[in-house]
Amino acid sequence: MDVFVTVVLVVVIALVFDFTNGFHDTANAMATSVATGALKPKVAVLISAVLNLVGAFLSTEVASTVSNGIIREGDGGVQVTPVMIFAGLVGAVIWNLATWYLGLPSSSSHALFGGLIGAAVIGAGVGAVDFGVVLSKVVLPALISPVVAGVVALVATYVAYRITRQATLRGSTAGFRHGQTISASLVSLAHGTNDAQKTMGVITLTLIAAGYQGAGSAPQLWVVLACGLAIALGTYLGGWRIMRTVGKRITDVQAPQGFAAETSSAATILISSHLGFALSTTQVTSGSIVGAGLGKKLATVHWGVVGKIASAWLVTLPAAALVGGVSAWLASSSTAGLVVVAVLALAGGLAFALLARRHPVTHETVNDSDEAPAAERVGASRGRGE
Amino acid sequence: MFLGVDWGAFVVVFATALAATAVIVTSFALGIRLFADGAVESDGGSGAVAAGASAGASASARRSRPLAATVAGGLCFAVGTAAVLFGLWMIVPQFH
Repeated sequence: MDVFVTVVLVVVIALVFDFTNGFHDTANAMATSVATGALKPKVAVLISAVLNLVGAFLSTEVASTVSNGIIREGDGGVQVTPVMIFAGLVGAVIWNLATWYLGLPSSSSHALFGGLIGAAVIGAGVGAVDFGVVLSKVVLPALISPVVAGVVALVATYVAYRITRQATLRGSTAGFRHGQTISASLVSLAHGTNDAQKTMGVITLTLIAAGYQGAGSAPQLWVVLACGLAIALGTYLGGWRIMRTVGKRITDVQAPQGFAAETSSAATILISSHLGFALSTTQVTSGSIVGAGLGKKLATVHWGVVGKIASAWLVTLPAAALVGGVSAWLASSSTAGLVVVAVLALAGGLAFALLARRHPVTHETVNDSDEAPAAERVGASRGRGE
Repeated sequence: MFLGVDWGAFVVVFATALAATAVIVTSFALGIRLFADGAVESDGGSGAVAAGASAGASASARRSRPLAATVAGGLCFAVGTAAVLFGLWMIVPQFH
């Protein structure tokens, strides 16, 4: 009975995580398309949602890469229990909601790793975590990704403006918008194949650990379906708060910049994952936008916003680890403790949702570039968005 | 290997991404330039798309484009199309 309760809780929270992953990362692919007007906001999130769903079905190589070797599993290592996975997911979801509330694009994968690390440290001691792997697979790629993508996008933006005479040639704005829509769609599809799989991996691992499914077997159809739908729904509902930050507040993205940024992101993401040197989608796309801002003459990059995003990236892993650790400590005490964690997580999620409603960002206000107060004014004058 | 990162692979990723993006963006922008054939966007490149360029009075917009420019521009856009197809091939595991 206990095992069953735990498994149900893990499946539910994993799908919630998948959902937050979706609406957190819509911005990665679609923020610039929305900002330049290449796509209407609702159309952009619909395309992104469909492509994420398609992506979820394209590949189901089970992610035993869920923890990427960060947690020493198997012989001589620790036994990853469903309770630890549950606690880790709680940490990841809470952190994702916190950064969404603040409108900051942060990596959902880092939140997941952080949550799992925290849970593993509490559940099995500091020795359970391989910090060398944390450095080489999480910290360094996080530093490298935005720089690589930023340099590529800077060059691309300069070239795009140079060749089209600062985009004054007839058809250049429309042309770049079309190009941008296509490259942004590629980013969305690639995102779907990666991120929905992570949650499938988590659920499948739990089912295997609980003995409901044979070791080494592929994810079941309902798992694939549920994960695909959860990420697609999250994507469709759209993280407008994060989109506004990425598309308007880092720098006011224009069509040639959007095209250059999305093409750089698509190329960097596809090439890096193809060559086995996976870079984070979130960090690549944010870096590209900064690069696109620097590549255009007289465009302003708001370094204050960039600084906020960078600090969110720094804090993501430890913060999620803290929540994951506390959750693991509470949840592993008893079934009652587990239920308490579930209830607290639910309350935390609702609190962020309610806080967000006080100054909502919707598909109507997603392109407001001013700081927060303006958003509130617009929200008030239009009578509370949606 | 330094700090657990394969820096050689990293340099390859960086160089390839830079080269691929440069080729795609250059050819796409050249395609736009060739199709425009020197004509300037009536709204200066910002704001709403000059759909159909209804300012038909503009002589430059009406001037017919040389065949060579059309062909070369088409080739430029073909480079972008090929890159997209290759990207799809990389994303979809069933293809390889």
